[in-house]
Amino acid sequence: MNPPVKRAIPTAVVALIAILIPLFLNDKTFYVQTVLSAVVVVGLSLFMGYAGQASLGQGAFVAIGALTVAVSTVSFNVPPLIALIAAPLISAGLAYVLGLPLLRLRGHYLAFGTLAVLLLVGALMGGVPILGGGAGIVGIPSLGIGSLVVTGQLFFAYLALAVLAVTMVVSRNVISSRFGRGVRAVAGSESAAASSGVPVLRTKLAVFALAGGCAGLVGGITAFFIPYVSAESFPPSMSFTYVIMAVIGGLGTLWGGVVGAVLVSVLVQALNTISNVPGTPPIVGTILQYAAYAIILILFLLYMPRGLWPTVGDAVKRRLAKRVKGSQTDYSDQHA
Amino acid sequence: MLNLEDVVIRYGFATAVDGVSISVEKGEMVALVGPNGAGKSSIVNAISGVIPVASGTITVDGASAQVPEGRQMFANMSVDDNLRLGAWRVKDRNPAAIYELLPDLARMKDQKAGTLSGGQQQMVAVGRALMAGPDLLLVDELSLGLAPLIVADLANYLTELNASRGMTILLIEQEVDLAFRMCARAYVLEAGRIVASGASATLAADPQLSAAYLGGIEASADRKRLK
Amino acid sequence: MNALLIYVVSGITIGATYALIGSGFVVVHRVTHVVNFTQGTLAVFGGLISYSLLSFSIPHGLAEALAVVLTGLIGLVFAFVTIGKKGTPPLTALLITLGLSILSEGIFVTIWGQSPIAPEGLDGATIILGASIENQRLLTAGISAVAFILLGIFFGRTYLGKGMTAAASNPRAAALVGIDSRRMGFIAFAIAGMLGGLAGVVTAPFSPISFSSDLPLALGGFAAAVFGGLSSPWLTVVGGLVLGIGGQLVAGYFGGSYQTVAALVMLLVVMIARHKSLSAEEAK
Repeated sequence: MNPPVKRAIPTAVVALIAILIPLFLNDKTFYVQTVLSAVVVVGLSLFMGYAGQASLGQGAFVAIGALTVAVSTVSFNVPPLIALIAAPLISAGLAYVLGLPLLRLRGHYLAFGTLAVLLLVGALMGGVPILGGGAGIVGIPSLGIGSLVVTGQLFFAYLALAVLAVTMVVSRNVISSRFGRGVRAVAGSESAAASSGVPVLRTKLAVFALAGGCAGLVGGITAFFIPYVSAESFPPSMSFTYVIMAVIGGLGTLWGGVVGAVLVSVLVQALNTISNVPGTPPIVGTILQYAAYAIILILFLLYMPRGLWPTVGDAVKRRLAKRVKGSQTDYSDQHA
Repeated sequence: MLNLEDVVIRYGFATAVDGVSISVEKGEMVALVGPNGAGKSSIVNAISGVIPVASGTITVDGASAQVPEGRQMFANMSVDDNLRLGAWRVKDRNPAAIYELLPDLARMKDQKAGTLSGGQQQMVAVGRALMAGPDLLLVDELSLGLAPLIVADLANYLTELNASRGMTILLIEQEVDLAFRMCARAYVLEAGRIVASGASATLAADPQLSAAYLGGIEASADRKRLK
Repeated sequence: MNALLIYVVSGITIGATYALIGSGFVVVHRVTHVVNFTQGTLAVFGGLISYSLLSFSIPHGLAEALAVVLTGLIGLVFAFVTIGKKGTPPLTALLITLGLSILSEGIFVTIWGQSPIAPEGLDGATIILGASIENQRLLTAGISAVAFILLGIFFGRTYLGKGMTAAASNPRAAALVGIDSRRMGFIAFAIAGMLGGLAGVVTAPFSPISFSSDLPLALGGFAAAVFGGLSSPWLTVVGGLVLGIGGQLVAGYFGGSYQTVAALVMLLVVMIARHKSLSAEEAK
């Protein structure tokens, strides 16, 4: 079996499992939300890994996407499909506008900047009537074209999966393209990249806009999936969770984003279930939710900063190399 | 006073210094010369304790202080503050003694170090190192980026320090002429190894050595004529 | 006129809080190049600990001072986790402080519950220029002013303070001279902890705090610090005052719900407008 086919097998297996799972679930909400968060995190992980900056308020772009759909369909009767297409475009645009001044600076400015935008959007959603006026936007129509309308959760499950697949393919092509080489150069060394003629700022901006677009699309889909959009849907803690998923999974890798999203979602769900077992004192729930979460993040940052996917991947590669080459140690995958 | 035995220094997988042995007696002024990238700064930083040694030993009989390459001022702080900070490790933080030795510094004491000229900063750097009351002075690239007249002044000062106060000095220099004039004994470092050592006069007179490592006799004669 | 004066005064007290928290950001950033996300968290610790000490019948003055010191120690603990391990890059350190703030929220809820808490402050009010101003607010302004002066003296005139500045200004020379940058970083965190704790202690009596107060406080403090390019303590004070007074004016004339919006907009505007000078600042 030639290498490309061999490498495709694990992906195919995972894809198959992913396609089968929703068929066995009664309530597909957790599945849809996990897959959608993976979409956000893939974009975020790429940005954080390659631009070396963190967006602490990525939820802002999700919110903008959701708002685009909600406001345009409810207040302006825009056809649902058009609204859905507009969502990622507007979010990507906002990301571009925000990134233009902030990406020139050290990481903490963008980190707080996106957080500020998130809270700003939330505050506006709480105050401005057309944006929900505190009560939220209801009555978002079902997704569809003309008279063909989506009913049921299964469609969203597969829509989310399809979006994730497309996102990963697009991202992978972006990274391996000529533009992508520039991105990787920036990640390696900004000054080296700059002196080789890579437009550092434009590269970072592009990746940031891409991540913003992913988030916006997720927001748009969510607005149709759960047809109620309010500020409470986008708390800062959700944005922090995206960052945690990206870090734990592995920054700058496609599968890292997916691994992180799935693992953390499952972890949170497990912690929730444990704390809801009758007879458990409420303190346990609190401790589990905050402390366990935070401690895991800190431990990863300190001791496995590259995240699960790259670290495990490297370990597996080394074991395979040892088996193939015997005792000869292979330094080829050691990075500078 | 200073003893390096088979010192090896690595950065990741690259070996910067590969088994170097150097010794300096108390009261001596010894030069360590060699081209850029030979490993001179690594050795000096290892002696100062800021980088680790992969193998080998470094023994210093007392305390050492470094006059770093490029002066390394605390730019936004005054000359006076720069000097006082030099005494971080010791009790006596009063720069009065340094102002006596280097009266020019006293005149600039409240000026921000970043606004001084290269030569003035070099004086501050020397003063700062002396504030620690060291037994061994490590001078890294004294002449870097400075005009010859200024370098001559500083060189005279250091020679005076060594002659009248018996300060042991290890002089790291790319400017071979300068190093040989100031120091009776020298080590030549190339690609992490000592390729020659001994009396400066002997080293300077060796044509093969000069040609291979020391920029050639012609170049050295040119420099002599300019001074 | 009366109303304006009241807005300005309450703006000053809120601004003082932001300035104190912002100074904490500045101290840590100048010495370690890390942005300490727990600055707001430390303020909450200050207020809550002060409340608890008072409820143990520890006298006023002593309780607050003790709370500030304890918060300084908490800052030190945060320092060990954040920069204790050598070679942690600043962005990772920022995320670690994020984790610490989440952990702290759990501690807040576990020990103090979820409802906002306001420790007892100074009672009564004084009439100044015809307006009645709460004594607690005057105390806040006064104590903050003293804190800033002490901070200035510390960094400008004490040997340790100069050492800390040197560590940030030229780490290589600092190492040669014997300054331990990591230790300086720890001290910076401890100082920032005390500043944040002080902010919480003086603010909580008239602005009840809870586990969720850390984020708005951190953002306000960061906004003030950005005014000073994350490095100038005096501009941070100015920024804090602008933010505080501006916010109060907006709240007074446009309604309370827009106060947060004003603060956030100001933060974004300052960052975007100053991005050229901020990047020059960073290059130094």
